[in-house]
Amino acid sequence: MVCEKIQDLLSPYLDGELTPEAKAEVDAHLSSCRECAELLSLLRMATDSLTAFPDVEPSPDLTAKLYAVPARKKKFRFSLDFLVKPSLQPVLTAAAVLLVIFSFYMFGPYKKDIDKSVNRQIHRGYSQIERLYAKAGSVTDSLSATAENFLVSLKNINPLGKNEE
Amino acid sequence: MLVDMYSKKVFNMAYQFSGSYQEAEDLTQDIFFKLYHQLDKYDFEKNFTAWLLTLVKNYLIDMYRRTKWEKRQRDDFDKHLHAVSGTDNPESDFQEGENKKILWQGLNHLSSDIRMAIVLKEIQGKKYEEVAEILGLPVGTVKSRINRGRLQLAKILHDKRGKIHGL
Repeated sequence: MVCEKIQDLLSPYLDGELTPEAKAEVDAHLSSCRECAELLSLLRMATDSLTAFPDVEPSPDLTAKLYAVPARKKKFRFSLDFLVKPSLQPVLTAAAVLLVIFSFYMFGPYKKDIDKSVNRQIHRGYSQIERLYAKAGSVTDSLSATAENFLVSLKNINPLGKNEE
Repeated sequence: MLVDMYSKKVFNMAYQFSGSYQEAEDLTQDIFFKLYHQLDKYDFEKNFTAWLLTLVKNYLIDMYRRTKWEKRQRDDFDKHLHAVSGTDNPESDFQEGENKKILWQGLNHLSSDIRMAIVLKEIQGKKYEEVAEILGLPVGTVKSRINRGRLQLAKILHDKRGKIHGL
């Protein structure tokens, strides 16, 4: 019991924080108790060794990274501001709706049917375009034929009413 | 300017607390990132170093609790901390080196709260009042934690030295 009480006082004893009376009590106990004296010696060793731990230099790489932290922070904040801008809310809402529709399409049970009908529509559209292209070709041909005829008729017109001979 | 003045201090606190050089580098980066975010919360009437070290302490203890460092190994003492002693007594130098190695590893056996108090008081050499301000605790509580920490480390020293000397 005495040892327990003394052991609690060893730390303030080391720090020199005991009253003269308490210090005298500890000193008296230490002179007669080998265990407590050994503990004091270990405590002193521990505090002396911990105090002597050297400071470690951080690597130059770390210092360079730390200098870059404010820029990193700015970048990060900018991206957050960008996302929470009120003017972008309709765009983000539209994107969210599209995402929901897309996820229904991707993970819903009708993906194959949708794919098939979209495929059919694409083919139909493609063949319509081909037909239009062919029509456009024939229109171009008839236009060029008309233009040629027109040029020939222009050549045949005699503005002075004279005979060619 | 903040980097020049405080990077070494923050890095050493993180290293002494975590025991891993690599981990301390990552933690220091995270802490500086957090520091720049929280600078506008700093009250100019308060001591900046104490405010910064409180932020460091909170972050380290928070990360410690989340990631359970105590299960990890600390770096070998000689890897980064070995300092050549200036005494003329090789035997006592050797003994001193052995004690440091034991204590460095022994820090892992302390709870995070006691370890933080020991790092600040014993390794960083701060006064009890400064430690109390950083930890946000009464001085009496800090003294009690440091007393417990010292006793645990003394016990570890006793046990390990006994093994080393074959006692």
